[in-house]
Amino acid sequence: MNPQSQPSIPSYTINCRMTQEAAALERLCQVVRIRGFRIATMAVETAGEHLDIALTLEGTRPIAMLQSQLEKLHTVAEVVLASGSVARSRLA
Amino acid sequence: MNGAQHILEAFHRHNISTVFGYPGGCIMPLYDALVDDVGVEHVLCRHEQACALAADGYARASGRLGVCIATSGPGATNLITGVANAHRDSIPMLVITGQVPSGLIGTDAFQETDVLGMTLGIVKHSYLVDDANALPAIMEEAIELAQSGRPGPVWIDIPKDLLLTEVADVPSLQPGPQQAECPDLSQALAMLRSARKPLLYSGGGVSLAHSEDSFRRFAESSALPAVVTLKGIGNPGKHNPYNLGMLGMHGSRAANKAVDECDLLLVIGARLDDRATGKLDGFAPNAKMIHIDADAAEINKLRPADLAIQGDLNAILNGLTETLQDKPLAISDWQKQCRTWHTTGGFQAADNEEPLAPITGPAFIRQLSRIAPDDTVIACDVGQHQMWVAQHYDFDHPRHHLTSGGLGTMGFGLPAAIGAQFADRNSTVINVTGDGSFMMNAQELATIRRYNLPVKLIVLDNQCLGMVRQQQELFYNNRESQINLDDNPDFVAMARAFDIPALHIERTDQIRRGIETIIAYNGPMLLHVAISREENVWPIVKPGASNREMIDETRRPSKASKEQVA
Repeated sequence: MNPQSQPSIPSYTINCRMTQEAAALERLCQVVRIRGFRIATMAVETAGEHLDIALTLEGTRPIAMLQSQLEKLHTVAEVVLASGSVARSRLA
Repeated sequence: MNGAQHILEAFHRHNISTVFGYPGGCIMPLYDALVDDVGVEHVLCRHEQACALAADGYARASGRLGVCIATSGPGATNLITGVANAHRDSIPMLVITGQVPSGLIGTDAFQETDVLGMTLGIVKHSYLVDDANALPAIMEEAIELAQSGRPGPVWIDIPKDLLLTEVADVPSLQPGPQQAECPDLSQALAMLRSARKPLLYSGGGVSLAHSEDSFRRFAESSALPAVVTLKGIGNPGKHNPYNLGMLGMHGSRAANKAVDECDLLLVIGARLDDRATGKLDGFAPNAKMIHIDADAAEINKLRPADLAIQGDLNAILNGLTETLQDKPLAISDWQKQCRTWHTTGGFQAADNEEPLAPITGPAFIRQLSRIAPDDTVIACDVGQHQMWVAQHYDFDHPRHHLTSGGLGTMGFGLPAAIGAQFADRNSTVINVTGDGSFMMNAQELATIRRYNLPVKLIVLDNQCLGMVRQQQELFYNNRESQINLDDNPDFVAMARAFDIPALHIERTDQIRRGIETIIAYNGPMLLHVAISREENVWPIVKPGASNREMIDETRRPSKASKEQVA
């Protein structure tokens, strides 16, 4: 297979703030997977009662669909799509 | 007060009077607390899956929160199908499971499973309690969360030791929901006024938002031709002259034609599921779309909306009704066209005039619809009978039709009927099932007997898995595979073994008496209805095809060609 013939897969950076709770990261990762994206990089920092998670994601589906599904999670406080393309906040 | 007693206290505060459950090791402290509690009726089903499905049926029929309880390990895993069923259809449900004691979590203890981990994808939210003092706040939040916004199941997994630990605080009641504001509807109104062929498309979101009355007023005052999804059946009411019935894979030709021809689709409380839309490329190709839903994530998910309105359906529907009151929509030609399509392309099933003829599913359901009282609750299972009910039973309210839409759970009907009967002990509740589905939760006949529930059971028995057989006939070159059930048990004898009287019918002239007998009987009763193995659900759209490509009975492969293939 010629790798040059494969279309490039769009990549996105998402910053997500969520409440620390049991299975918080599993919950996040599961939604990412089920909605059709692959995690390329993931960095997690604790910020008081919150977790700040920076994700680089790859996927061909609309990223807005994933963003709205992540925002539905009860313990997700904020989802920001980096690169200045689209940025929506649950707290806004 | 310990954790277990606190859970019951929370039930009382939230007027939760009926719960469905099954005891076991790690949930025993809660069952011990139940002994001293006279305010909560605990319904003992015979399998945890049935507990969850009964709680689901209770919630669907009543609009209240369904609650189910089980122990750790197999108790929790058995709940999963029922909870997934509630999740896919957005049913408000509280699930409580016992977990192994805190110190044993992660040690592969007896009856330990990672309940939190394995259920993440089928809940709106879930908790593993790690501090007894957190339990009161978790209970409050879980009960509110399950019922607010887009409802869904919320699962609390609580270690046994915390059920026995003293709980410090009991929180005060949360303030009630605020009056929802109506968003700006001027653009929607302008689009409705400029459309020549507007069509109302509604789904299960209408009853989930408790907006049945608001929807009915809007549908009647706008006089918009209306199609419904499987879960939206009953929204427009059976006397609405512009109700075209169900669209989609097994929808009517009239409903699918109206969607194909309309120039504006007003989608209310529906998520454009593939079984309803068919291939999206060919769905409502000439229409702009207004999408109104409580869940922002549903908007633009599958088809971009020309106008999206997210919010409280009651407020939006009342706002739309008010704005249309002064000047009705000028769509008389379109209304007339839709009525004509409905007359010629609605669901047809002539009564068989030949008294000795075998019974067909559609003819039976039409008779049932005429004979059963208006407020009868029909709890279906999954398969051909489910579609015949959707097509041929005239529902006047969405809460009268309990059906497993998203998950398509065989075995749903019988426990759901039990739940519906507990929601209203005086209503007529009928489980319409098939021979395949009935056997998936037949143990619940024991629950019906134990509580002497007057649930009526109608088993449409075609001696096979009819929907699978049908698709094998039509789309797999007649190659039947693992659908034969001609060694079914004697269902009449089986019911009688549970002390439930039963009748068998097989001829057209026996239909009326059979239905009248079970409805008139003061108690549970089963009607076993032998129907043809060869009967199909018509029309049908091949999975993945456009709704334009509906197949009618006239295009069924001939018997001769079937034999050739065989």
